[in-house]
Amino acid sequence: MNVKKQNIEDLVLLTIVDRDANLTKSENFKEIVFKEIESGTRKLIISFENVEYLDSSFLGALVAILKNLVPKNGRLTLIELNNDIRNLFELTRLDKIFDLKNSLDKAIEGFK
Amino acid sequence: MNRVILLVDDDIFQLRLFEKLLTGNGYNCKIALSVDEAELILRSETPDLIISDYEMPGMDGFEFRRRLLKQDSLKNIPFLFLTSINDKDNVQQGLDLKAIDYIAKNTPPSHILSKIDNLLQAVREHYERSLSEIKGIAERLNLRNIPLHAPLLKHFKIDYFNQSFQNQPGGDFIDFVKINDRYTFIILGDVMGKKWGAWFFSFSFLSYIRSAIRLCVYDKNYSLSEILNKLNRVIHDDELLSDIFSTLSMVLLDDELGTVKYAGAGDLPILKFVENTTELQYFKSEGILLGFSELGDYSELEVELASNEELYIISDGMIDFEINGEKKSDINLFKEKLFNFKQNKETTQTIKNRLFDKHVSQVDDCSIIIIKKV
Repeated sequence: MNVKKQNIEDLVLLTIVDRDANLTKSENFKEIVFKEIESGTRKLIISFENVEYLDSSFLGALVAILKNLVPKNGRLTLIELNNDIRNLFELTRLDKIFDLKNSLDKAIEGFK
Repeated sequence: MNRVILLVDDDIFQLRLFEKLLTGNGYNCKIALSVDEAELILRSETPDLIISDYEMPGMDGFEFRRRLLKQDSLKNIPFLFLTSINDKDNVQQGLDLKAIDYIAKNTPPSHILSKIDNLLQAVREHYERSLSEIKGIAERLNLRNIPLHAPLLKHFKIDYFNQSFQNQPGGDFIDFVKINDRYTFIILGDVMGKKWGAWFFSFSFLSYIRSAIRLCVYDKNYSLSEILNKLNRVIHDDELLSDIFSTLSMVLLDDELGTVKYAGAGDLPILKFVENTTELQYFKSEGILLGFSELGDYSELEVELASNEELYIISDGMIDFEINGEKKSDINLFKEKLFNFKQNKETTQTIKNRLFDKHVSQVDDCSIIIIKKV
């Protein structure tokens, strides 16, 4: 899984480079983010700007990441989801448990 | 689906030559001019076969193979060497690295192609044999996450269809729990994931769901919201399921009064067809995925269903489409398609055939339950 990491003050921004976020990548992605959380990151932003399709395996990985982060008083914001993916979050009520923002600026603002 | 071959060679002329040979014979090729490039491709693609040269600047083919063997996710991809360095020691060293074959570059192209065809066919056959053995064992143990029949009721007709992704067992599960002549529970769930992992966990969810229903029913409790709340708490507290999640649609049919109740957890809306309308209606539940939070806050709603009206319960694979190589999730496209079938008075069997047409690209497990009021 190709993921770009960027530190912005005390925030970590992970940008998924791949277009397809699917089963073959979900475990690897979960491991990358779990390592990030283990290393102490508590304010995390994941950007989907390059992602065109997300399957249920990858959604499951995202939910597992959030479930791991919340008891550690961490926060996760997902940004730049395309309309199809955002609709999927809304249809399945995942928008109730995830913080979704349109842009990086809005996400950074939300952490302040 | 075309099989994907990763070709690694520092000689671009050779790469293009083999790419042409293979693509001309139905394979998809990814090409890499170095081990570094190949490893970059392998971060986002899992090919069916890797063909690598031995002598390359930087890392050579043997080193590449050694690195692959250290990675669980890559070590089992069939690997063969295609090289002009063919002394005995090199051939032996390559085969010792669990390469399936070591082929000389001056082998006639038709021979190389036959070797690749035979190799991939053998891999496929071996896989299918193993799959069939495991499926056989599961059948003998009566492990089914899709039932053999739907119950027969007075006021409702139930049809259901399931097609797993790439014909492998998957995470969608369906169940019917007929309590007595009056009450029947209809269940459609989707363990997030695909293939074996999801299939395995679907049985844990099914067992919990059946138990939660039975325990509530013993107390004369037919409240879907209470069943889901109890179910969610148990799943939330089960360490084995701590990072496994499932959606669930649960419908309770009252065959005496002809009523329908519905509750859901992170599921897609259920859809309803009514004649003389312009689109399918939909009913959305409020609950979140089972097991995410201790308090799921599930509620139920009553869905009015008149004679000849139909309800559709679907898993998310039904709304995933691949159009011109682009994948997307689009419930409106699915609603439109289904509505048109109904408008055209297509039979349930025809609708099933059209929805599960083998020519329609499927990207996930797909399930649909159709409940018709009769």
